[in-house]
Amino acid sequence: MAVQTEVPAGGRASATPRAHLVDPIAVAIRTRTPEDPAVHQRFAATDPSPGLDIARSPRVAKILRDRKFQFLMILPNQIIFWLVIGIGLLGTVVPGLNFATAITWYLWFALVFVMMVVVGRAWCAMCPFGGFGEWVQRHTFWKRKESGIGLGLKMPEKVAQYGFLLSVAAFLLLTWIEEFFNIAGPGNPASTSFMVLGIVGSALVFFLVFERRTFCRYVCPLTALIGTVGTMGSVAGFRTRDREVCQACTTKDCMRGDADGYGCPWYTWPGSADSNSACGLCTECYKACPSDNIGLFVQKPLTSVVAPTRRRADVAWSVALLFGLVVYQQLNALTPFTNFDTWLNNHTFFPHYPDPISYLGIIGAVALVMAGVAWLFERAFVSRDYVPAIGGRTFVDRTSKFRAYFVPLMYGIIPVVGADYFARQLPKFFQHVPRVPVAIGHLFGFGSTHSSLYNASLISSNAGIIAVQVGVMAAGTLAAMWASWRIAGRDLAPVGTSKRSVQVSAATFALVIGVITAVLYVLMNAAD
Amino acid sequence: MTITTTTNTPKGTERHVRVFVDRCAGCQECVIRCPVGALSMEPASWTAVADDALCVGCRQCERTCPFSAIAVEGPLAVTERFDPPLHQPVELRGNVEETRRGYDTWDEAIAEANRCLACPDPTCMRGCPAHNDIPQFVAAVRDHDLERAHAILRRTTVIPDICSRVCNQSAQCEGACTWSLAGGVPVAIGRLERFIADHAAVPAPAVAVASSDAMSVGVIGSGPAGIGAAWDLIEAGVAVTVYERDAVPGGLPIWGMPDFTLPDDVASRPWRQLVEAGVDLRVNTPIPAESIDQLLTIHDAVVVANGAGVPIRLPVPGADLDGVVDATMFLQGAKRALLADGDAVAFRAELGVADARGARVLVLGAGNTAMDVARMARRLGLEATCVDWLDERFALARPDELAEARHEGVEVRFLRTLTALEGDGRVERAQLAHTVQPERTKVPTVLKTTPDVLDVDLVVMAMGYRLDATFREALPTLPIVKRHVGLPHGRWSASGVLKNAASAYNHHSPVGALSLDREVGLWAAAMPQRERLWVAGDALTGPATVVEAMAQGRRAARAILDAHPARPDRAPEFRADHEVRVLVAYASAGGTTAALAGRLADRLSVAGALASVLPVEQVGAQELAAADVLVLGTWVEGLVVAKVHPAAAMRRWLATLPNLGAKPVATFCTYGVNPRGAGEELAQAVRSAGGVVIASETFGREDRADGARLHPTKTEAFANRIAARVITRVAAVA
Repeated sequence: MAVQTEVPAGGRASATPRAHLVDPIAVAIRTRTPEDPAVHQRFAATDPSPGLDIARSPRVAKILRDRKFQFLMILPNQIIFWLVIGIGLLGTVVPGLNFATAITWYLWFALVFVMMVVVGRAWCAMCPFGGFGEWVQRHTFWKRKESGIGLGLKMPEKVAQYGFLLSVAAFLLLTWIEEFFNIAGPGNPASTSFMVLGIVGSALVFFLVFERRTFCRYVCPLTALIGTVGTMGSVAGFRTRDREVCQACTTKDCMRGDADGYGCPWYTWPGSADSNSACGLCTECYKACPSDNIGLFVQKPLTSVVAPTRRRADVAWSVALLFGLVVYQQLNALTPFTNFDTWLNNHTFFPHYPDPISYLGIIGAVALVMAGVAWLFERAFVSRDYVPAIGGRTFVDRTSKFRAYFVPLMYGIIPVVGADYFARQLPKFFQHVPRVPVAIGHLFGFGSTHSSLYNASLISSNAGIIAVQVGVMAAGTLAAMWASWRIAGRDLAPVGTSKRSVQVSAATFALVIGVITAVLYVLMNAAD
Repeated sequence: MTITTTTNTPKGTERHVRVFVDRCAGCQECVIRCPVGALSMEPASWTAVADDALCVGCRQCERTCPFSAIAVEGPLAVTERFDPPLHQPVELRGNVEETRRGYDTWDEAIAEANRCLACPDPTCMRGCPAHNDIPQFVAAVRDHDLERAHAILRRTTVIPDICSRVCNQSAQCEGACTWSLAGGVPVAIGRLERFIADHAAVPAPAVAVASSDAMSVGVIGSGPAGIGAAWDLIEAGVAVTVYERDAVPGGLPIWGMPDFTLPDDVASRPWRQLVEAGVDLRVNTPIPAESIDQLLTIHDAVVVANGAGVPIRLPVPGADLDGVVDATMFLQGAKRALLADGDAVAFRAELGVADARGARVLVLGAGNTAMDVARMARRLGLEATCVDWLDERFALARPDELAEARHEGVEVRFLRTLTALEGDGRVERAQLAHTVQPERTKVPTVLKTTPDVLDVDLVVMAMGYRLDATFREALPTLPIVKRHVGLPHGRWSASGVLKNAASAYNHHSPVGALSLDREVGLWAAAMPQRERLWVAGDALTGPATVVEAMAQGRRAARAILDAHPARPDRAPEFRADHEVRVLVAYASAGGTTAALAGRLADRLSVAGALASVLPVEQVGAQELAAADVLVLGTWVEGLVVAKVHPAAAMRRWLATLPNLGAKPVATFCTYGVNPRGAGEELAQAVRSAGGVVIASETFGREDRADGARLHPTKTEAFANRIAARVITRVAAVA
């Protein structure tokens, strides 16, 4: 029951309240409006201009307001993924002919990366894993229900303070499993089914134990990757249109939920979001806002990399570790590494590739090199009288001189890491994506390994693939150099001695790792 | 604000506030609600930071954080509450002195007032059915200013002296007190209210100069709802006539509440003041349901506030034996018998228990009425046993009342239910079966084990009351169900009161949910149940509390003052000063209907109405109550060849519509191809909800077009038609 007559934005103001409607409750709340004179300045760099609000179009607004919108986004993927599970288990064992492996490893992975780089969390808005868990948790496909099922616990702070790092661990584990069982090789299609089932199952467990999208925010193996690389994307997500309205809002329905929408499942407040990293594009806040004060904004590419004021240590470490992983995946295609891994397996009595020691060792080493470089930056540039702000005691809000350099530098190399992941997927995509229609045809009784399409590739020559990979790396490197230059100028220069030299050094750092990874692609010779 | 914290905090008693910076979104909900300013914003990370040294451990931040990103550890920093000891008569028999005592001295009151945190978003006010501004009157006590305290109370209540004695504060204001929600002992709000009422006279109504042709309102019943209604009406210069069935006005607090809880002198205070203020009180004037129409011809409005006075009787074998009476009869007789000049012996003889020694009264029920009956019985010198089939954990009586009754020697047996009464002409034995009740919301189940057998000399049925059947027939929408449906408004969830922690003080009643339900009753009181007929108090909701009835009576009175109803024979001048409020409510998908609704509203404003536009989802009882005229618009859906309906959103909304009380309603549909019967379906739904359809129209594509050369366009014509029906009286005078 509405206790106070709210004036709907866009509508006419309600008539002046009548005597019997002046509820003492409404007048007796003596909370003040939050005030902060610096608020505009703080969000100035990250707030998209009002002109970039695509929800201003009545057509878009109507779609976003429809409660079925997210359901319809998820539904096609849901159908495809249950087909993947079923066909992977029951279909042909020829990986290239099996719908499950073909669509998952030849097409889907590449598509997710494109969406990530172009949009941000576009995949999250249509993800069948989270979608399935959410349907069960809310026990509805699209309606706003008052109650949910499950325990509704919150993530223990001991874990939650590490932000994306739990997701990175999950991603490392999943990748290792995938390499060990050669799932993406692609190996036995049933393995793909089991992997997908495993993700759906664990997602479901998390959705039933924890509240909201705790799984997506902390645990999902892809969330750290999308949350870091996705910041390159050009969709800023759902943001406030007028921050003063949000600050004065007495109900915060976007966070708590109301009759029209659930509270943000991702723990993001449109009033303070300064990055697209934690906006799952689920439209709930847009639906719930009583003041029609939330828009869906687009932004210039890389804005969420360069502009945020609040930089997070978990994001930085995630970037370093994820970079380690992709470098590992480049190295594992090289003969010297294969020999080394075999040697290590023989001496550690491990059955076969990939040896966990070399796996974690290389990833850890790369991350430590990143940290080492940041440490060198700090030694070289930090100003004598710089004292870090007083932080907290948890992982996310601790502060140090090292972090003052490490965190911004890692943000700066996000484009090169993103490009690296994308380039790594390209051989499989170019060589095998024509198999997807063959695999679909195979379901209906035509299409075989002998068909010309099955043996076709988009780019057949290794040189061609390498050229594209190097091109992607070049673009990523240029973007990273630009981002590093900007970030260094804004975040590193104020705490250091020389603005220009720290900018040059940061850009050079991005260039160096870009060149190294590009060289690795040449050496890999388009191996998938 | 005075917060008592010990300076030498012993180890293990420090408070620690943890902000989970990973989840904290910097919305400042906690910052603006912290009563002691312990929270502020960290500019770099844009998250909240806490100063542990200032924290008092009230946990409001925890309850209000939308993302549960803050946690408080450690005990509450609050002094111990002082409750004056009960007044325990040496000789109970014949003694009707008040047992519960208020604060005697300023020191006691101020010490208690100092426990109040003056929360910026006071949950206690939501817990109070009348929404008394508790932090403000507590602050007035702290300032030694009882006049101001009374002025603050007067904004929301006219019977602070009665409420502070008879309210179950533990399930209302005190149950919703921040300290209580945090698991501690709440501020003694009831005692402070009583301190104000006892130490400075409750001000009499400020009577406006009555004009000769003032609005005339009839009030049926003089209980708390009638008092509330009459008070606000007489203060607004309305001619109020109150019809009371009994010889003494005051309703249940007068005839049903014993002197040891509520002294007669206090209970009769409002009527002394109201009669003096000029309320035309007609005692010994019962109004049967069939006479309501007649009253409506002589009054501009009528408030039905005659309560729920029919005692419920348990239909068990032997219920018709001698010595089985109902609570009303017992309470009225006992109250008279226990007066200074009363004759207890004669009353006992009337009950058939002339020899009091060892005579046992079986009281059915263990609610507040049953407690009153049992304690009265003790004062008449009888033994008393109360039985209730509920579990004691979910008992309906006030916890302190229950404790007092037991202290006075009343035996209370929970999880028992009466299955049969036995006796030869007069009741002698009662069979009491065992029951179980695992949850508060579950109805107890009766076990098949051997029942207890109790020798009894008198049985009093005190399970509660219900509405008079003839009134239920005359007003079939009553009693309303006080159940809040749908998600509560954001202000409720923002206050944190719904995240109710079970503390000893709200004894298994989720205070937040209860108070939300009570809001339904309050808004229903503002809605007329028929044209010019309002209902308030127990008559509206079934048996409830004194404070709710009073608040509903006031709400109904203010609704009457707003609606300015007029009986048919009034001169046009009587209606002139009232502007017509039109609410245009629409269900729109593509914005077409919304745009049309907007144009209609514009048109109606031009015609002199005060028009507002809202989508139907945002229209609740409160918005309906505010509107004199309703315009409903919807788009239509369905297959032209099959059947066309009003939009689903509109149909859903219509299904939840409360009784419209003969409100004038205009309906319109917008359609693409052919509306078929959708317009009529909409009008029919309005009629079945008790509305009067004054105009109905459908708008096709061409009809909606702007810039038509012919004026009036169809939209304008429709608006004019509505205006002609409802705004004529304004126009006639102008």
